[in-house]
Amino acid sequence: MHLFTKAMNNTNYDACPECDLLLKPAQPKPGEKVHCPRCGLLLSRPRKQSVERTFALSIAGFILFFPANLLPMVGLTVLGNANTGILISGVIALYNDGMEAVAIVVFLASILFPLVHLCLSLLISGHLYFNRPNRYLVAWMRWMHHLDEWVMLEVYMLGIIVACVKLMAIAPLKLGWGLYAFIALIIITTLLTSSLDNRLFWQRIEQLRKENKNAS
Amino acid sequence: MRAKANALTQGFIRCHDCGYLVKTVDHLLSCPRCNSHLHARHPHSLQRTTALLVSSFFLYIPANIFPIMTVNQFGAGDAHTIAGGIVELIDSGMIPIGMLVLVASILVPSSKLIGIGLLLLCAHFRWQINARRWTVMYRVIAFVGRWSMLDIFMISILVDLVDFGGIQIIAGPAATAFAAVVILTMFAAENFDPRLLWDNQKNL
Repeated sequence: MHLFTKAMNNTNYDACPECDLLLKPAQPKPGEKVHCPRCGLLLSRPRKQSVERTFALSIAGFILFFPANLLPMVGLTVLGNANTGILISGVIALYNDGMEAVAIVVFLASILFPLVHLCLSLLISGHLYFNRPNRYLVAWMRWMHHLDEWVMLEVYMLGIIVACVKLMAIAPLKLGWGLYAFIALIIITTLLTSSLDNRLFWQRIEQLRKENKNAS
Repeated sequence: MRAKANALTQGFIRCHDCGYLVKTVDHLLSCPRCNSHLHARHPHSLQRTTALLVSSFFLYIPANIFPIMTVNQFGAGDAHTIAGGIVELIDSGMIPIGMLVLVASILVPSSKLIGIGLLLLCAHFRWQINARRWTVMYRVIAFVGRWSMLDIFMISILVDLVDFGGIQIIAGPAATAFAAVVILTMFAAENFDPRLLWDNQKNL
């Protein structure tokens, strides 16, 4: 995979995205980090087997997404009445309270965007893993890049912790399998983000496109 | 020094989406690798950021004044503002969690508003500053923004779970305003271009 790194960039230069310093691209080995000498931004951190790992983690995340969303996460019992919550039921409760805008935001940040993000990384890494060119690869990469910031699973987890602390004062809580699946999903998505090497992915996509052009 | 260092002054534009370097002399409108629009700097960065920042500043006022949730106990409503919820947590001995909520829902949004405001002033008036330090500040602001959604997620869980015959939690109008503040400041941080800070420095 490192063969591609040298051949691809037509300018042989690189620029820091935050301070615009013109740089000679470094060729870091997996595990090394390259920082911008002027502003200190982490420029690249290549990973071993980035494509393979991303592919595997995307599959795992995709599978875990369903129990995390469908099984009860937290249960609360007051005076013999039991209530259990899942991700979507919080959205519905907000919606029924007349907080449509907030409900939509919660739905997007905790359910739809994480799912779309997982699907995109599954599609991209799958295509790269099997060396299949696809004209939508570029669009998928761009969408994933823009979605990154709006996937807020780990923030939701903190929300669950704070809510649980507040609720413990009212009544006994029961943690369900959905919560464990959700925690596992967060660990998977965190590993996924750190294993996904943007630079390498873009280079591989361009490489695939050129090979495809030459073949046809 | 400055003329040497910047990619733009050397005749290169970096694609925002994929990081590809394009020569300015080619006069390309879109990136040859990923097809996204090419801009040397974020277009209208200062105007857009200012607009988003001003609107989030005005939304920040109702977000703190109005109740973010109301606890109904057998007909008697007990409204909580953001600050009230934290005071209650700390009063009941949950100090670490109270601090966490304090940081996420009061300190982060307010310091974000001030921080982005300072960055805007700095870029607009071409202050000669330690650009590296200010870029780090920008990076912290951009990273930390999403964590303020914590309060909104917590409310969605509380509203869902606490709904029994006599006891009920209802989300209040401040929740909408607060969610809007978080999202608008995230967009503001995204639209601000830290390279403007570096462009303005006379001696690097």
